[in-house]
Amino acid sequence: MKPILLQGHERSITQIKYNREGDLLFTVAKDPIVNVWYSINGERLGTYNGHTGAVWCVDADWDTRHVLTGSADNSCRLWDCETGKQLALVKTNSAVRTCGFDFGGNIIMFSTDKQMGYQCFVSFFDLRDPSQIESDEPYMKIPCNESKITSAVWGPLGEFVIAGHENGELNQFSAKSGELLVNVKEHTKQINDIQTSRDMTMFITASKDNSAKLFDSTTLEHQKSFRTERPVNSAALSPIFDHVVLGGGQEAMDVTTTSTRIGKFEARFFHLGVEEEFGRIKGHFGPINSVAFHPDGKSYSSGGEDGYVRIHYFDPQYFEFEFEA
Amino acid sequence: MPTGDYDSKPSWADQVEEEGDDDKCITSELLKDLPLKDLPLSGGLKDTPSNGGLKDTPLSGDLSADVELLKGGPLPSPKELINGNIKTITEYREEEDGRKVKIIRTFRIETRKASKAVARRKNWKKFGNSEFDAPGPNVATTTVSDDVFMTFITSKEDLNCQEEEDPMNKLKGQKIVSCRICKGDHWTTRCPYKDTLGPMQKELAEQLGLSTGEKEKLPGEPEPVQAQQSKTGKYVPPSLRDGASRRGESMQPNRRADDNATIRVTNLSEDTRETDLQELFRPFGSISRIYLAKDKTTGQSKGFAFISFHRREDAARAIAGVSGFGYDHLILNVEWAKPSTN
Repeated sequence: MKPILLQGHERSITQIKYNREGDLLFTVAKDPIVNVWYSINGERLGTYNGHTGAVWCVDADWDTRHVLTGSADNSCRLWDCETGKQLALVKTNSAVRTCGFDFGGNIIMFSTDKQMGYQCFVSFFDLRDPSQIESDEPYMKIPCNESKITSAVWGPLGEFVIAGHENGELNQFSAKSGELLVNVKEHTKQINDIQTSRDMTMFITASKDNSAKLFDSTTLEHQKSFRTERPVNSAALSPIFDHVVLGGGQEAMDVTTTSTRIGKFEARFFHLGVEEEFGRIKGHFGPINSVAFHPDGKSYSSGGEDGYVRIHYFDPQYFEFEFEA
Repeated sequence: MPTGDYDSKPSWADQVEEEGDDDKCITSELLKDLPLKDLPLSGGLKDTPSNGGLKDTPLSGDLSADVELLKGGPLPSPKELINGNIKTITEYREEEDGRKVKIIRTFRIETRKASKAVARRKNWKKFGNSEFDAPGPNVATTTVSDDVFMTFITSKEDLNCQEEEDPMNKLKGQKIVSCRICKGDHWTTRCPYKDTLGPMQKELAEQLGLSTGEKEKLPGEPEPVQAQQSKTGKYVPPSLRDGASRRGESMQPNRRADDNATIRVTNLSEDTRETDLQELFRPFGSISRIYLAKDKTTGQSKGFAFISFHRREDAARAIAGVSGFGYDHLILNVEWAKPSTN
């Protein structure tokens, strides 16, 4: 395969995400520009300009009308997907680490960092009520006293939010009442990324403790583990096969002090059922920070510490490959 | 090549045509490798039948860029040629250093069926930093990377990988490292006495004290002459060699004795001088001769030397002491010199 190389960022990529149909790919990095690309040929549709700091997270709603981004400039912004215009700006006290639209696209959730004397919060806004945005006053705010949230996604039907914490804990917060529904701790270190399966019944976590784990969305029951010998920055579930792709590598600060095996920066494919690795794809020359499967399962993209995003369309061999247990 | 502007134009045009033909061949080959081809053309139809109406979406996949150096002449205007579903854009550009470059980019135009929403999005106007980009991928932001393949691994290989790392950890645990110089628990290269031979030299000096004492008993050992000899490294006539003053002895046994106490030092650095060798080997015993192989023209060391000691024991000690010793940036190799054939 010949990956398409997207060079729209000047700093390391923080997150990449497809929209629901997968025709658009949103990429954010530690520079203030948010990029959107046609996934089919890598053509850049446009940029959302306005942030003044590193952008940590991005999300698009169900019908790709709006785009939500959270940044270290202490703001969460809502954009019109088609024109790139900024529709709303929510000011926060600390950096916005994760953000997401609920199923209907009316309610947004974002979490803020514990920093500069401020606590970590999960905030919920209803976009149908403009006064909430104007006054920066969410209709619900859940404080997280213990460990800050490093990744979060909406659960199925917008009933709850699943949050991964810096200490490896997973919490499920109700989106109605804000109460803590379930708490589990399967990871020993920071959870870098959470991605749900296509039907949202399961989700996969990627952790700094060198493993990725599969959980049931509603019960947070631990199902499967995928172990590597390096921190995992991102993990994604294939929508068509029982496959998982893991992206990671040693932390950027460790790159010069550890062995120079380039293999550390490969995207690694695991079989979901038997928890074993079956393939690797090279390409990045730094750790992979974010991976995402196209919703049709025929391609995947990865964004790395090297600032590049690569769109990979799988070779026929990938589709013919059968795992021999 | 004609140098005049007007003359060069027609020849250029010929070139363009020729190159154009070649290009088609290349790109059609490239096309086969392109990922887009492997996708079913009506993917959108299957996935979203509920969205109803289908629309043709023109897409262009960035295929390849060919850069060619040009000489002289003004820059022709860019050309865009659409031939079937292949779009060829020929651009001319002047580099900073004045070279003129022709760039041929070939695109394949593909039409796919997609859901209404996707098709509508495909026709959106570009915005933000891409506002003024032409339709199709902009080469400033989108390029096609080198071929990569998924390497499939079996679980066996994976296990091997893990084992590979284990032995190193084991080695770390055991203290098998021992310094050759001071016998410490570190690599010889990290020894603090690395450059001085440190403790070993002291030890040797003590031994040397004994050996020199013994040596003084030996008759007819003209020290100053030897020092001179070893410094120059020149041919020494037999009459001046040690033992020459001894009467009634034939040359033969003496020569053999000399051979017996000769060591060969290899892997010397280019900058090595005879004086360096003298300094390095003197602690082991008195040296009768140092021969450092040098390049005739440059005078630099060829990387090996012969050192003759008076006593075979001294030579043996030198081998034990200096073999494997890091000198300059190289590890010296010291062994007995083979007796010369003549």
